Amino acid sequence: MSTPTRRVDAREKVTGAARYGADRTSPDLAHAVFAVSTIGKGRVVNVDTAAAEAVPGVLTVLTRIDPAELGSPGFVMGGGYGFQSLQPLTDDRIAYRGQPIALVVADTLVAATEAANLVRAEYEAEPVTSDLDAEGAETLVQEEAIPLPFLADIVVGDADAAFAGSAVRIEETYELPRQHQVPMELIGGVVEWRGDTLVVHEGTQNAGALRGGLAKQLGMDPAKIEIIAPYTGGGFGQKNSLQPHVGPLALAARRLGRPIKFVMPRTQTFHQASFRPASRHLVRLGADETGRLLAAVHEVDQQTSRHDLFPSMSTEITSRLYGIGHFRGRQRLVRTDVQTPGFMRAPFEHPAAFAFESAVDELAYAVGQDPVALRLANDTDVDPVTGQPFSSRYLAECLRRGADMFGWAGRTHEPRSMRASDGSRIGWGVASGVYPASVAPAVARLTATSEGKVTVGVDGHEMGQGIRTAITLLISEDLSVGVDDVTVDVGDTRVAPQHLTAGSWGTATALQAVHAALRELRKHLNVADSDPVDVGAAVAATGQTSVEVEATTIAPGQPPEIIERSRAGLVAFAGPVYPGFTAFSFIAHFVEVRIEPTTRRIRVPRVVSVADCGRVASPVTAASQVRGAVVWGIGASLRERSEVDPRFGGFANATMEEYPIPVNADIGEIEVGFVDKPDPMLNPVGVKGLGEVAMVGVAAAIGNAVFHATGRRLRRLPIRIEDVL
Amino acid sequence: MRPFSYAAPATLAEAVTALAESGPGTKILAGGTTLYDLMKLDIEAPPAVVDIHRLAEIAAVDTTRPGEFSFGAGARMADVADDPVVRRDFPALAESLAKAASQQLRNMATVGGNLLQRTRCGYFRGGPVFPCNKREPGSGCSALGGLDRGHALFGGGDACVATYPGDWAIALLAFDAVVDVIGPRGARTVAIADLHVEPGDTPQREHTLAGDELIVRIRVPVTPSGRGSTYHKIRDRESYAFALVSVAAGVAFDDRGVVEDCRIALGGVATRPWRAPAAERVMIGERLTEATARRAGEVAFAGARPGTGNAFKIELGVRAVADALRIAGERAVR
Repeated sequence: MSTPTRRVDAREKVTGAARYGADRTSPDLAHAVFAVSTIGKGRVVNVDTAAAEAVPGVLTVLTRIDPAELGSPGFVMGGGYGFQSLQPLTDDRIAYRGQPIALVVADTLVAATEAANLVRAEYEAEPVTSDLDAEGAETLVQEEAIPLPFLADIVVGDADAAFAGSAVRIEETYELPRQHQVPMELIGGVVEWRGDTLVVHEGTQNAGALRGGLAKQLGMDPAKIEIIAPYTGGGFGQKNSLQPHVGPLALAARRLGRPIKFVMPRTQTFHQASFRPASRHLVRLGADETGRLLAAVHEVDQQTSRHDLFPSMSTEITSRLYGIGHFRGRQRLVRTDVQTPGFMRAPFEHPAAFAFESAVDELAYAVGQDPVALRLANDTDVDPVTGQPFSSRYLAECLRRGADMFGWAGRTHEPRSMRASDGSRIGWGVASGVYPASVAPAVARLTATSEGKVTVGVDGHEMGQGIRTAITLLISEDLSVGVDDVTVDVGDTRVAPQHLTAGSWGTATALQAVHAALRELRKHLNVADSDPVDVGAAVAATGQTSVEVEATTIAPGQPPEIIERSRAGLVAFAGPVYPGFTAFSFIAHFVEVRIEPTTRRIRVPRVVSVADCGRVASPVTAASQVRGAVVWGIGASLRERSEVDPRFGGFANATMEEYPIPVNADIGEIEVGFVDKPDPMLNPVGVKGLGEVAMVGVAAAIGNAVFHATGRRLRRLPIRIEDVL
Repeated sequence: MRPFSYAAPATLAEAVTALAESGPGTKILAGGTTLYDLMKLDIEAPPAVVDIHRLAEIAAVDTTRPGEFSFGAGARMADVADDPVVRRDFPALAESLAKAASQQLRNMATVGGNLLQRTRCGYFRGGPVFPCNKREPGSGCSALGGLDRGHALFGGGDACVATYPGDWAIALLAFDAVVDVIGPRGARTVAIADLHVEPGDTPQREHTLAGDELIVRIRVPVTPSGRGSTYHKIRDRESYAFALVSVAAGVAFDDRGVVEDCRIALGGVATRPWRAPAAERVMIGERLTEATARRAGEVAFAGARPGTGNAFKIELGVRAVADALRIAGERAVR
């Protein structure tokens, strides 16, 4: 037994053996394509399908579904299952450009595509509102619009008075654009009926919601629905709930008596699924002359749709970044004509940290303090919001170790003071990141055989983050079996409820359940908890060829019945505030930018990131997660922006060619470090989350580095060449 | 995608016959990297396609003849970009290909087809949602008053401001290349400067070739300024992106170190490949300094007409010209 140097499913992925949802095939497979609205808002008056139906091979063209046959899935943040509450094709309302107006099913993809292009619609168009400040945008105060305790504004002390009385005051507004997740695997898969059982093969982070949501939409018994998603080719939040194509496909498959494959074209993934909403952040920081933070105000305006209120939780982290005695948050939602925005990696924390950590850098320059020293001086062991201790908090160590690894001591403080031999301006920037350490209920069913093989079925989804590797390692180390003797089944409703894997709780949640199942197994095998064990022999000693155990775990403080919410496919996680402690993950990012002397191209030759994610459960995939998140941060701060032409609504650069995610040539060296100290309170495995905190603060560190290089404080992302000319 | 007829002639002569016999709207298929793309978007819907990608007789590259390089239209972009002689004697040509698209696309796309690639204007490619005079003559131009960060500063008008997207043609234009064309009415030679047209009132018309004419080869005169050349491309990411601004520049010095030949052509900023002769004249007879290079850049962009979101490309372009001249000058034989 040894720690593997690669992810356990690397070979399957590289060779193409891994079966993703759309890889399913069968001789009678039919293919579906949606025709979509060309207007941004209004009513569809008539849909002409004659030409589409005349295309050879077309099986059906569906333009309207009776809501009695296919109801709303409900909004995932409103007690439902869908990325939005609106189910297209069930009425004549057009809420956004790109909304489906017809579903075409044909014998071949080519025929379905051709027919979808021939669908013609007449509309009554209405003016479209796209931007936060546009006419027709409707702003709501979140805590009034959604009276739920965890969405209320965070208020500690009297921040306005403390700000007014502060010797040093920073007050700035920061703007972040709409962005899209653009996972490699397109949305979609195969929907089929096996008798009266509906089987869906589709990459998802939330097989449970697909099952629960389809049961609700179709009026079915959830036991008659199976969701099979052993691999998801990247989700980043876009695949965290039921998408509205699945219900119509299920109906069409039943009517036609054939399985249907659907792969959403890339451009439609920009319009028919969630995205990161535009947001604007006002930050006020009050401090004394030494940079000791006394007060902070963080007000947020965040875009949502007309039909759902996608909430903001931006101030959950900005109130905890430092030990600030007075804090006031205010979160507002702005209704625009768009599909419902949603969770995109570090959904609130990336924008919030860009704003707040840029402001902290501005404060450091206002008081003449080193940005690392200022952050260290404002660190805290106590959650300023609840007064509880943090379960573990090694942000200071992240900052110190990161500074060491980066060589921060060699930095000169003044902007424009560092220059490369080719004349490029050099900028060094730092920022902190924090992210809530949540945990969800989970069920693990573990089978050990007398041949020493172990199989576990557990809540969790493998979407590239490496959960299968982390689970394999835990079992391998606990039972002294080789990684090749361990089989992990995730993303499958036949083996566990499959609660949403998101919010960086996936690994902690799954490992806690597997850990509990391992304890159960040892009990069955009469082996003490920590003793070495020959598991094959121990199973054989029971006189059986295999032993099966099951364990259910929940988050600290949750009532046992919470598992029923999870079994129903509903969101059931807890955190970051638990009885007696508060749990967050932490990170510090150090970034070097170089800006060319004339044409001013901004490059990021190196980044150092040091994370506190509790115990590192899987070193190889953990480091990969951090590197990937840093790449995301580089894209989010220097490139990515989903463009909108307000005359048309929708998104204008909705292709991988035009939506500028970074390419390899844009990425330099990314050095990753871990504190790797177990969190003693959150779970017995000592693991906190990593995938999202790893992106939090990258954008601010880049913006701060650009300031250091140029003397220009850029408060709107992305920072592009025209901003530094 | 719509049904279409398909022919794959085995020889150039057969290809000419196939094109002569085909009806209006027939498209020539070479690497397929643009045509297939536009057919999938339902923007091109040709009734017939003549596939020339296997015609070896138009794929040869010849860099051995004195005074002229010849590139068969069917040569792959990647092969020409990697050709050691081209890289040594004409870096601007090699770089213009190497900095285009992605390796996978360059492996397929041909140097002939590349010349006629269509604009990447999002309103053109976005389909019927957006009025577009190039796609649907008379419907209007959505880029006017719209998202025009990538649009033209030169050669546009009320009908269209879409940018010519290519890199290769920019470099060829700087060095006075010509294209040999064949068709049912015989062979002819067209200067690259006369190949593309400004949109005027007919933005759907992008070049001067007839529908049944085929580019056979591209010929480029070899000059000292070819060796002292670069293709300097500024874009939003370092690969797989079209130019915000690009500059093909070439410089040759006399024995006193004075510029005796200068070539400047601009990409990413005009509706067609754009030569900057006035800027070239600024340099002739001068020494190449930061100041003269900057002055050439300013002259190159003197007549720019920006829209709402692309004015920054004027200053960026001025600087890109200056940088390109510096890089070219460093490579020139002194």
